[in-house]
Amino acid sequence: MKRERIWMQFVLSILAIFTIAACSNDGSNKGVGVATDAAQRVYVAPGEKDEFYNFVSGGFSGQLAVYGIPSGRLFRVIPVFSVDPEKGYGFTEETKPMLNTSHGFVPWDDAHHTDLSQTGGVADGKWLFINGNNTPRIARIDLTDFRTKEIIEIPNSAGNHSSPFSTENSEYVVAGTRFTVPIPNADIPISEYAEKFKGALSFVKVDKTTGRMEIAFQLIVPGFDYDLARAGKGPSHDWMFMTCYNTERASTMKEINASQNDKDFILAINWKKCEELAAQGKGTIANVEYAHNVYNDETHTATSTIKKSVRVLTSDDIKEALYYIPTPKSPHGCDVDPTGELIVGGGKLATVIPVMSYSKMLKAIASGKSDKIIDGIRVLPYKDCLAGEVQRPGLGPLHTEFDGKGFAYTSMFVSSEIVKWSLKDFKVVDRIPTYYSIGHLSIPGGNSTKPWGKYVIAYNKMTKDRYLPTGPELTQSAQLYDISGEKMKLLLDFPTIGEPHYAVAMPAALIMKQSRKMYQLMENKHPYVTRKEADTKVVRNGNDVHVYMTSIRSHLSPDNIEGIRVGDKVYWHVTNLEQDWDVPHGFAVIGNNNSELLIMPGETCTLLWEPKKAGVFPFYCTDFCSALHQEMQGYARVSNGGSAPLTWNKK
Amino acid sequence: MKVYSLRVLVVLMSLFIGAGLVGACTQHEDESDEETPSFAEAQKPKAVYGKIQKVNIGATIDADMAHEGKEIFEVKCMACHKYDERYVGPALGKVLERRTPEYVMNMILDTETMIENDDTAKCLMQEYLMRMPNQDVNEKNAREILEHLRDHASKSK
Repeated sequence: MKRERIWMQFVLSILAIFTIAACSNDGSNKGVGVATDAAQRVYVAPGEKDEFYNFVSGGFSGQLAVYGIPSGRLFRVIPVFSVDPEKGYGFTEETKPMLNTSHGFVPWDDAHHTDLSQTGGVADGKWLFINGNNTPRIARIDLTDFRTKEIIEIPNSAGNHSSPFSTENSEYVVAGTRFTVPIPNADIPISEYAEKFKGALSFVKVDKTTGRMEIAFQLIVPGFDYDLARAGKGPSHDWMFMTCYNTERASTMKEINASQNDKDFILAINWKKCEELAAQGKGTIANVEYAHNVYNDETHTATSTIKKSVRVLTSDDIKEALYYIPTPKSPHGCDVDPTGELIVGGGKLATVIPVMSYSKMLKAIASGKSDKIIDGIRVLPYKDCLAGEVQRPGLGPLHTEFDGKGFAYTSMFVSSEIVKWSLKDFKVVDRIPTYYSIGHLSIPGGNSTKPWGKYVIAYNKMTKDRYLPTGPELTQSAQLYDISGEKMKLLLDFPTIGEPHYAVAMPAALIMKQSRKMYQLMENKHPYVTRKEADTKVVRNGNDVHVYMTSIRSHLSPDNIEGIRVGDKVYWHVTNLEQDWDVPHGFAVIGNNNSELLIMPGETCTLLWEPKKAGVFPFYCTDFCSALHQEMQGYARVSNGGSAPLTWNKK
Repeated sequence: MKVYSLRVLVVLMSLFIGAGLVGACTQHEDESDEETPSFAEAQKPKAVYGKIQKVNIGATIDADMAHEGKEIFEVKCMACHKYDERYVGPALGKVLERRTPEYVMNMILDTETMIENDDTAKCLMQEYLMRMPNQDVNEKNAREILEHLRDHASKSK
């Protein structure tokens, strides 16, 4: 069920050998590398708070999970790409548009990578970006109220994996396609893959003040599989680096056919140059169709707009801005060190970790030397760009993070370990097992110019024997390691939702002080807001019935409604009149083919109910709110036809 | 969470019993403005609890303040308080005949302190079993609500 690439099967036998080797004689490996004071180090006493927020992609749950570090406690699951009936996300009239796409309403996606908005290469705590891989999208989450505020679909893309990595000041977030497709998509034989399929790499502009996203331009590049990316920093600020595999351009049995070449590439993109060329009007405007969904904080309502065009630049337009750097072998991760000089490729089938030099790359470009030219893009000589190789690091290097103290930490999927190595001489200085098959790893700020190098967290693909069994599917898991000393020490295992991919962490102090406590009633501009109980009413408009309802501890108003008819569409617009923190009210109707509402203080939410038979139907508050919560309940009477007027009790 | 409702009630009740307050409260002392508010009168002079120690009341009613206060009262208070009848909370039409201005403002601005310390507030908590929600009213707005309540009382005499 774990959806890491199929090539992993290829090396399972090696994995088995390593796993056995890692076990002690009694078959137990639970103690290897555990710090003697681990319990004390992760214990957050009752009432105390964690030091870091950890934002973990929920993988195939499509959501974003929020944990505390060092405790590993789960605080919140933020719905992003998948519906969430608990919060009404994707069910309320206000949030349904968030999940609209050019394919219509899509209730699910596969979320992979998180990235925080940055200023000067450091997380600024404003927004978090996360990608939807299956139906290509990028979402923006507001870190003041932990809600998804915007989702933009990416046209010409399929498998939005190389995403949403941010540039140093969040000028752009990027969206590179992992599955190439015909551009524009067309009914053509798959056997024409090598000639007709192309890669689309999108640069999505982020507004500095509002965070609003728009696709600035797309680069149409050779049809390889674009995998992961990182923006440059400091001297390399203008560049984006993106790994790609399947330079064989295979369309079938990729686990074998896409693993033939000794080297694939890191694509170096001078986005600043592309931006200039786009501004000069280079390229063409292509006809496409993609959804852009924005949630409005004042109306508490999302709108979805289908957009029809995008500026595309082909490699002919931007020859001076694209260079391939050969990288062994089917590289996965692509990580830039805090200085912006070193680019680490995770050659997942390679026996070394290749480290590229930004300054050497510039010299190689200037030298005019190329190994070859692909679709007009120069392939620079490997040795001319290479800063060094980490020798014998282990098996299956994937991703690298940095501690800001001169060391890099690389996850090794096949040999299930984290390897710590020096950025000075590329020598391995420490290694520690993970349980099991680590994918991504994260150090707070570990992808930024200023890491808080206290912990590294491993996000594992398999847990096997680490937790109580729960049938065929076991919990997903993360592991926390102390990296404050010379040797890494295991502190804690904690379970995660979905399959964790990339995660980011930052000091809690930078986020908690800006946390929103409620929505101001007087600023609520929802078209169906009811600010005072005196204004509650029920209005019929043909077969549509609009209930303007309020909720406060502990009654709903109105709470007796008659005159609803079978076949009506009843819209419950419930405004929570509370103006205090931590007092949401819920709302649900018996037999409704819909979710509940969970309404935050000062917010208005709308639930659609289409009663199918006559009778009296109770509704109630679902979120325990006071000693008289049980009494927070009412009735709706539904009649067969008739012309009885709507009545309701007014207080 | 619903299963906790009885427990919450039990805990609340036992707190009051433990504090020895049950016998000290007059039942329904606030139910109607028609009843004589003897209990509060008997407590005078009372200590003032909460952040507002002294309210300066003008000789006449400030119409602008009262107007502002009415708006806020309707949005933030009237879901639970009516002028002339007991509702979720006590009737407030003639509240200033039985409570001091300081009491009214502190109940709005510093409910926790009042419920913990003020004997009248403690009794009302026991009677209504509903801690008054914090409606995010600032001091200026609370003073305006007070002025509105003065205004309303003077007009309904």
